[in-house]
Amino acid sequence: MTATVPPTGRRRGHTARWVAVAVGLIIALFVGVLATRSPAIDTEADTPLLGRQAPPIEGPGLDGGTVRLADHRGKFVLINFFNSWCVPCREEHPELVKFAARHAATGDAVVLGVIRDDTPDEVRRYRTEHGGDWPVVDDPRGVVALDYGVRGQPETFIVAPDGTIVARYISRITADGVDETLRRYRGSGA
Amino acid sequence: MTKRWLPWSAMALLVVGSLAIAGADGGGERTVAGRVDAIAAEVRCPTCEGLSVAESESAASRTIRDDIRRRVEAGESDGEIRAYLVSRFGKDILLRPEATGVSGLVWALPVVVGVFALAGLVVAFRRSRARTAVELSDDDRVLVEQARRGR
Repeated sequence: MTATVPPTGRRRGHTARWVAVAVGLIIALFVGVLATRSPAIDTEADTPLLGRQAPPIEGPGLDGGTVRLADHRGKFVLINFFNSWCVPCREEHPELVKFAARHAATGDAVVLGVIRDDTPDEVRRYRTEHGGDWPVVDDPRGVVALDYGVRGQPETFIVAPDGTIVARYISRITADGVDETLRRYRGSGA
Repeated sequence: MTKRWLPWSAMALLVVGSLAIAGADGGGERTVAGRVDAIAAEVRCPTCEGLSVAESESAASRTIRDDIRRRVEAGESDGEIRAYLVSRFGKDILLRPEATGVSGLVWALPVVVGVFALAGLVVAFRRSRARTAVELSDDDRVLVEQARRGR
């Protein structure tokens, strides 16, 4: 017959120390993974609008004229909801400049900006400093954003030449990422 | 027999009546503001966590409230307004799941479970009532007496 010996105080202390070390390591690993992972780019997301006709856009542009989505029928249109103060929008801006320049020669795709929670003056100032000459429409009451079910910024939709929405991005985009989507769409024979 | 079922019938009537009153949408004429508030309370704020459009003061929520008001004034039904929002944002824009399709299970399952639980209770009560009294034999009495003495 054997008697069960209760753990001594020293043994209990060792166990607690090992548990604390293990928990500490797990937390450190978790923090490390979160801190070093790359920020989200070219993240596509579902929307009920995929495959449907893009809701019409018509409103005042930055130059005083009227901006209409319908004016770009026959081309791919990158509808970009943005503002001048959001950090991902600012990080994304050079990619939009690159995409617009790349397609200016071929004329097969254009960028159309929609201002979200910002003023036309601030956007004008931002574009003077950082470039960008594509049409931008003011949406002070958020009606266009509502029609597209926009939840944040930047948010980008790709409209095919026939007017249907073929992709939605809920992170900042890259010119290469969008071009890849266009290639995929063309390749699908749609 | 009739007397035995009287309390059960009264209870069933009370439950059904309460559910009917709770489920009714108030009836009568509803004001535009009342309808806007009621619909907005069922719509999730698209840019904030855990708030309805009625509670949130974000720009997106204000836009949705204005749009709901415009649609109510234009004569659209509550269902049409909800359908428009779902067609733009997806089903998760509604705080209360719709009572159709798979989401309808959210509403149907508690009712089904409730019905089964009630049926189980009725069966359990009947069984306990149907159990006949046990007759003690002389041997049983002796055993009990011995056990008492042995304490």
